[in-house]
Amino acid sequence: MKPGAASQPAGVASFRVRLVLAMMLLVSVVATAGLLFAQHNVAATVKQDFERAFRAEVAALDAGREIRHALLAERARALARRPRIHAALEDDALDLLYPSARDELSDVMAPGAGAAREGGGAALRATFYRFLDARGRVLPPPDEKEVGALDPAVEARLSLARLPDRPQTGYLARAGGGSEDEVDEVIAMPIISSETGQTIAALVLGFRTPDLTLAPGASGILRGVWLDGRLHLPALPPAERAALARDVAVAAGARAEGGGSLSVRVLGAPYLLFYKRLNPDSSFPPALGLSLYPLAASLARQRQLLWQFAAAGALLWLVALGTSNVLSLRLARPVERLALDSAADRSERARAEAALATTHQELLRAARFSADASHQLKTPVTVLRAGLESLLAEPGLGAAAREELSALVHQTYRLTGVIDDLLLLSRLDAGRLRLDLRALDLVPLIAAGLDDLGALPEGAGLEVAAELPAALPVLGERNALALIIQNLFENAHKYNRPGGRIRVAAHAGNGWAVLTVGNTGRAIPPDAQAAVFERFHRGAVGEDVPGHGLGLNLARELARLQGGDLTLERSAGDWTEFVVRCRLAEPAAAPVGAPA
Amino acid sequence: MNLPRSNLLLAWALGLAACAGAAPLRAASTVAGRVALPKPLAAPVMNQRYGIVASGGVLSPYPPVAVVYLEGAFPPDGPRPEGRMAQQDFNFVPMLLPIRVGTRVSFPNLDPVYHNIFSFSPAKRFDLGRYRSDERPIPSVLFDQPGLVTLRCDIHEHMRGLILVLDTPYFVLSGPDGRYRLAGLPSGHYRLKAWIDSRTTRTREVDLDGRGSIRMDFP
Repeated sequence: MKPGAASQPAGVASFRVRLVLAMMLLVSVVATAGLLFAQHNVAATVKQDFERAFRAEVAALDAGREIRHALLAERARALARRPRIHAALEDDALDLLYPSARDELSDVMAPGAGAAREGGGAALRATFYRFLDARGRVLPPPDEKEVGALDPAVEARLSLARLPDRPQTGYLARAGGGSEDEVDEVIAMPIISSETGQTIAALVLGFRTPDLTLAPGASGILRGVWLDGRLHLPALPPAERAALARDVAVAAGARAEGGGSLSVRVLGAPYLLFYKRLNPDSSFPPALGLSLYPLAASLARQRQLLWQFAAAGALLWLVALGTSNVLSLRLARPVERLALDSAADRSERARAEAALATTHQELLRAARFSADASHQLKTPVTVLRAGLESLLAEPGLGAAAREELSALVHQTYRLTGVIDDLLLLSRLDAGRLRLDLRALDLVPLIAAGLDDLGALPEGAGLEVAAELPAALPVLGERNALALIIQNLFENAHKYNRPGGRIRVAAHAGNGWAVLTVGNTGRAIPPDAQAAVFERFHRGAVGEDVPGHGLGLNLARELARLQGGDLTLERSAGDWTEFVVRCRLAEPAAAPVGAPA
Repeated sequence: MNLPRSNLLLAWALGLAACAGAAPLRAASTVAGRVALPKPLAAPVMNQRYGIVASGGVLSPYPPVAVVYLEGAFPPDGPRPEGRMAQQDFNFVPMLLPIRVGTRVSFPNLDPVYHNIFSFSPAKRFDLGRYRSDERPIPSVLFDQPGLVTLRCDIHEHMRGLILVLDTPYFVLSGPDGRYRLAGLPSGHYRLKAWIDSRTTRTREVDLDGRGSIRMDFP
């Protein structure tokens, strides 16, 4: 218990405030950490979901493109195996090459060479075709209209340094009908002679790139092609395209493997840009397919989430604040009560201590008075007895006078006994009596008491029965024990009826030495039994019984002083029984029969 | 499977007969010998077909066989009997047909599917289009220029047939062992040629006296 802190109301209040503050701090820290963690997780999940959706969409678009490309390649491969084309090349009939091809490719070529861009199957229709000769140069077509017109400079770009042995994919930008360049996907399919096993020519087919003409989908993905340092993405203005083309060139140049992603700003909005080499391992110039994914929606969603979390956090914090306040008040209440109770206890105790001190003083005073009074009384009684004895010794006294004097002398002895008892009691009350407890055998003391009992004048008419063990070692003081035994025996004698019995029994049991003294005689009335141990109390047995009402009180005080007790076991009918309990001594410490 | 071989022999016999029929009676020289045939270029063991095989840009008959003919200036003669080259089992039968310039060759389709015979060869360009076995009249082509004509089918890209158009009535297909016999030849100084594949034709000078028999081997 800390005095000062809790005993004063100010201390209790500051305790409460500190408790509230500590709980608020704890709640705030925990709530903030938890919310931050949750917000971080949710934001990451949202971002991942967006990216996953985006990647899935890009992958789907790429897969679509790859399927389309595979279809086109398969188509070109089938065309390159046509016997007429082989015959024209192998049987020295180059003049029949383009005419034969016109028939073979009639279903592939868009009717009217590029007029059918709209309409079903346009994505799988070729816009032009050419053959490369054994040296990789373009074989000039006899009629451009039938094979798809190309600008000579563009046509020259179809030539390859050498004929490929595998299909090659390329991309070709050429001036289209509108303001934008058109980008054609080109597949160069080698024609391998069945006679020589050598690549003798190549069929070059040009297709429209449908990605560029696709309208942005619901997710706002933009698709484009990066080719020769230029970006073909009609959805963007030229300036943005040029800037983006530079970014892509730098990013793609840094990576050997053609594929990656980067964050860019397009028209002031954040985008995620994915690029992928469209024609890896191709003899044609490299081309990159671009997918631009707008991050605005994702960022907006994340911002919204942040605000939602902040609002939820503030709400939660307020609730936690209130809860912690209530909680801390509740927690502080028992402490306050404890503090108040403690203060009350203190004053109570101080009062009790003061009262105790006063009582002690009064008791001391009373005891001192008792002792003084006993001392003062003893001397005159002694003088009185000496006088009476000398008178008794006077010759010539009549028998009546002598008997009277003798009775007076006897009374002085009684007076001395009372004074002695009072003196002893006053010493007991004052706590002055110090008993020197030691192990001793109770049985000889009882036997001595029985002897004295037998010596008493009226003792001959009583039947005394004793049940004693061989030895009963107790812890006590010889004189005190003797006094207790004497008092009890005298009582048993005094309050007996003529021809009655006295029964004395002693035994050891349950850690105690128990001495039971019973006698016949009128029982103590039940309402008076509680008072038998009070001072100057005498049983309602008539004034003919000698005694002064101090014996039982003294005997009990002495028994308690030795750690034992004296009780009235029963008093009913014709039998009254007192029991003394004394502490048993260790048998080894007090050998049986040995004088203590 | 023996049909192609028997057809080959039949064609050889027909060729012999044509030669005999075309030769003037006074001409009685005979050239016989053996052409050293190349080892088969590719031996399709699992699916032994007879036909024209291509390797390294060379078309050669499989199993190897040679056409031996006498080159020279010969007077024109009467109408030629029509040649025949069928499409059977997705092959040309016979696979190699030597004919004289001006011969009409019919191309019956003996398969239950369409064939489309065409040639882009400089000696004869033609395209018969698609037709089935019940096409009547049976499509035919007149070969009016000497040279080697490669026949293809536009539907079955593996099919190859060769028609060797010769400007001579004296020609013969060798046997599978390379042996040949060219009889009824006129007297004079000629070049005897042995066509082995699309790239290889061996030539030997020969003087014929109009009678007797000469042995001429092409090593």
